[in-house]
This record gives sequence, C-alpha cells and structure tokens, in this order.
Amino acid sequence: MDKFKEIIRQYPFLGFIIAFIILMLVPSVFFTDLYQSHLASLICINIIVAAGLNIVKGFCGQVTVGHVGIYAVGSYTAGCMFLYLGSGLWLTLPAAILIAGLFGVAFAIPSFRLEGPYLALATLGGGEAIRLFIENGDFFMSTYGISNIPQPIIFGVPFDTPDKYYYIAMPIMLIAIYFSFSVLRSSVGRAFMAVREDPISAAASGINVKKHKMLAFVLSAMFAGGAGAVYAHLPPGYIHPNNYTVIEMVTFLAMVVFGGLGHIWGGIIGAIIITIVYDLTRPLYEYQLFIFGLTIVLTILFMPKGIGGFIDKYFIDRRFKTKTGAMSK
Amino acid sequence: MLLKTKKLMKAFGGLKAINKVDFELPANEIRGIIGPNGSGKSTFFNLVSGVYEPDPGSYIEFDGNDITNEPPHKVGELGLARTFQLLRLYQDMSVINNVMSGYHTLVPYSFIDAVTGRKKIWDQEKTIKEEMMELLSFVGLADYAELNASELSGGQRRLLVLARAIAGKPKLLMLDEPAAGLSPVNVDNLMKILMRLKEKYGLTLIIIEHILKVVMDTCSKVTVLDHGEKIAEGTPSQIKDDNAVIEAYLGKKMDDEEMRKALDV
Repeated sequence: MDKFKEIIRQYPFLGFIIAFIILMLVPSVFFTDLYQSHLASLICINIIVAAGLNIVKGFCGQVTVGHVGIYAVGSYTAGCMFLYLGSGLWLTLPAAILIAGLFGVAFAIPSFRLEGPYLALATLGGGEAIRLFIENGDFFMSTYGISNIPQPIIFGVPFDTPDKYYYIAMPIMLIAIYFSFSVLRSSVGRAFMAVREDPISAAASGINVKKHKMLAFVLSAMFAGGAGAVYAHLPPGYIHPNNYTVIEMVTFLAMVVFGGLGHIWGGIIGAIIITIVYDLTRPLYEYQLFIFGLTIVLTILFMPKGIGGFIDKYFIDRRFKTKTGAMSK
Repeated sequence: MLLKTKKLMKAFGGLKAINKVDFELPANEIRGIIGPNGSGKSTFFNLVSGVYEPDPGSYIEFDGNDITNEPPHKVGELGLARTFQLLRLYQDMSVINNVMSGYHTLVPYSFIDAVTGRKKIWDQEKTIKEEMMELLSFVGLADYAELNASELSGGQRRLLVLARAIAGKPKLLMLDEPAAGLSPVNVDNLMKILMRLKEKYGLTLIIIEHILKVVMDTCSKVTVLDHGEKIAEGTPSQIKDDNAVIEAYLGKKMDDEEMRKALDV
C-alpha cells in the first residue's frame, strides 16, 4: 500500500487515470435508470463549481455569493453561441471559460477593498444583476430560456441521452479536479491560504495580496463558467434564468461549507452529498432554501471544518499513533 | 548602508507618530530600538516595511533601492523581512505551511507551471519542503510540522514567526518585540537561536524590545525614540548614561545603584 502511495505521489496523473477507469465503469454496474445517470452528470457539474468555489472561498477566504452569476454567464455563453453561431460543446466550453474568467476579474475588484459581509453583499448584487440582465434581455431569450442546446457527437456517436452525457461530464470534472489539485498544492495555493489567514503578514512575506485575490477569483470563475457550459449542454439542453437564483447559490455554498472550507476532497464530497439531497428534496421546493441555509448555519456552528475536518483529523490521528508507536518501541 | 531613512515622517491627524527620523544601518549590525510605549517604534517598522505610507518629504532606501512608496510585498521581495508584535501567524495552516509560505518569493516555478501541475513542480516542492524542515529543526519545531499553528504554545509561536520570517532568506530582519511575554529561560533560548540564525544566514537585525537586558546584551548599537523623535543613538553603555534617555524612561536622573535596578528588570 505504501509503495502504491509513493507511485501516486510521483506520478499524480496516474491517480486520475485510475479514477477515470473506475468512474467509466460505475454506470454499467450501479445505474438502473436514466434518472440516476442524469443525477450523476449533475453531480459532476456541481463538483466543478464546488472545486472552483473552494479556491476563492475556502482557500483565498474571499466571501463570494455571486458565483451563480458567473455560472449563468458560462451557461448563457454556451446557449447564445449555439443560438447565434450554432456552435457545439467543444467550442462553447473554452469560450465560456474565457468569458467567465473576464467576469471573474470584475468580481475580484471589489475584494481589494471590501471584506467579509460587505464583499458578500457586493458579489450578491453582482450575481443577481447578471441573472436579471439575462431575464430581461431579448438577446438571451429572456424568460423563454434557450432550448434544444445540442449534445456533442464524437466519431458519429451522439451523446444525447443522460446515460451517455455522463461520459462527457465526468472526464471534464476529472480535469477540473486535477487543475484544482495542482494549483492548490503548489506555492500559489499556499499563498491563497496566507492571504486568507492574514493579508498583512502575507504581504510582508512578499506575497502580492491583490494579485492572488485576482487569481483566485479568475480561476474559480473559470471553473464556474466551464461547469455552466457543461450544464447548458446537459440533455435536454434547456437553460432558464430561474436556474441561477440565490437558491442555487446557497446550495453551492452549502456544498463547500458542509464539505469543508479549504479542503479539496471535502468540497468534492460535499458536492456529491448536497446534490443528492437537493434532488431528493425537490418535492419540498418551498423549504429547500431553509434546509440548505440551516445546513450552513449548523455546519459552521458544530463542525466548522466540515467533512474535510474529519478526514484531516483521522489522518493526523493515525500518523500520530504510528509515530508514538514507533517511539515506544 | 543597508537601510537608510531621511526625514521620515508620519502623522495620524495631529499626532506626529514619527517626526523627521534619520536612520542609518550598515550591513551585519544588530541594532536595538527602544523607547517608551507610544514612542513610534512600531510605526517606524510599519513605515519601513511599507504597511503605512510615509508622509511626503520622507525618503527610505533599502539595499540601494528607493522603497519610500513601495507596497509591502515589493519590500518583502527585496529582502526585508519583519515580524509583528501580535505575531500574525497563519492560525489555520500547518506549521510547515506557515514556514513554506514565507519562502514564497524564492519559489522557482511559475504560475503556469503550477496550474498545469507538471512533475518537476512536485520535485521542487519536495526540495523546498526539505529545506524548510531543516529550518524548523533548527529552531526546534520539526516535531510539530504537521500540527496547526494555533495548537502551538506561546513560546513555540514566537519561534515559528521567526522561522517564517527567515524562510525567505532576507538581508534585513526586523523583529517587533520578539521576546514579549516569554519567561526568562525562554528569552535566553530565543536569543541563542536568534544569534545562531544570524551567523548562519548572515542577517542584519533590528530589534524592538522592552526587555532591556536583551537589548543591552545583544545589540551593538541602540537607537532611542521618544514621541516620534530620535533622542539618542549609540552603544548600549552610552545609552545607559544618556540623560535624555533616562529622562524619557524614568523622568529624572538617579544614582547608579537605583538606575541599575530599574534597568535590570
């Protein structure tokens, strides 16, 4: 087992290839109907958003409540490119990532001067403004929504049903996780954490605080934008401004907070759990906001580090045990 | 001169926190800065390290560069490290990450490398980590590397702050009350480690300290501030006998016996 770990550490790519193979096999083993495949694709998309949100909120410590707006930007970039240019996912995805990145710059600027709840208010306004802009713009088909956004076709095989689309969303999610891992495990990730913990002290260590805030916002916006594009193409390929409300934002936040702020795996696990719960509670539509708001509050009160905190604690305890065990020998 | 200030000024409203301070520090010196509370010592540090912007007319030069209006991270990049009176540790980061983030300016790979996660990064990260572990064992914190910084004791935190400041291999290290709140044994220990670090890394030091014994024992020269003005500068023994200094601290001249008692807290 230790040898296996060492190999993974040396070739980080290998772990993702193994994960890819396993996840390729999951549908044929576990899924019994299309609904489960649909849910799995949705989980993949939400993991991308949560991984992105974790960069800016968990690692860089910038409270942003406008991420759903950037997610909408990604979706509508894809939707409009299909509507007016007839583009498919392979064109709309990079375009969505790029344009969402630009919106990330805009969202980063308030963070230079605002902090905590004030920044949350500013970004909340920004996110809502984007949604209202879309809802009232004829260019974006306003409240009709954009429908029939096509699924990609690879080697003549259309990926147009939920069980097939999973094979599109899943690899994109793995690539996103790979990028988030490489950034956050490097000096850039450390600089993000330093900015979160103490900007003044970080600056004294030579870390450019503004630059790293900007980086965090742009990176996480790119994740959200990419996820938005994948969501737009999700069968049946229909997007509507109502998919990008504050409720969605609260679910995204719940994923990251419940999973563990500043913990990469925690965010991913949180995304899986919350997406499933969100779907199961659909019949209780009017209580959803309450449920997820309460989840955030209770998590912050009783387990501030979320699930990720438990994972960390388990590993530290185990390492400590082996260490003391070795010492007593 | 490694550090030079000319007519350094900073006023908060009507209060002149630092008033026309000329300061010169050659390389490899240990300089002490003393003065009563509110005399402008920390403000001086904040001005030099770029946390505060000095008033017009001031001039600060570090290692041949004009850093008068540079932001703090630029000053840090040039090789001026500092610690804070309130420590400002990264509480929710592991001890090793605290120190490694101090190394930030020396990291050899670019942002693009980091995003693409190439293999060479992991090798370089490993080298950095080994180097930082060495530094940690030098200050005696190697066993706590994986713990959160918030789990350390007060004395260990002071050592960690020191290690973090030195991680970036600075030319000048400014310590704001490094020994505040430590027991006499720990103070001695800290000073020993500090002197060994100075030897090892060829540091120049500025120390603000209220424990006069520390200043008198370690510093080759002492600058005294009072009400934002420099009132004396010289070797510790000169400072001990300086009338202005004694007045600032004690109010009046005492005889030798009484003074020795008062200084030797």
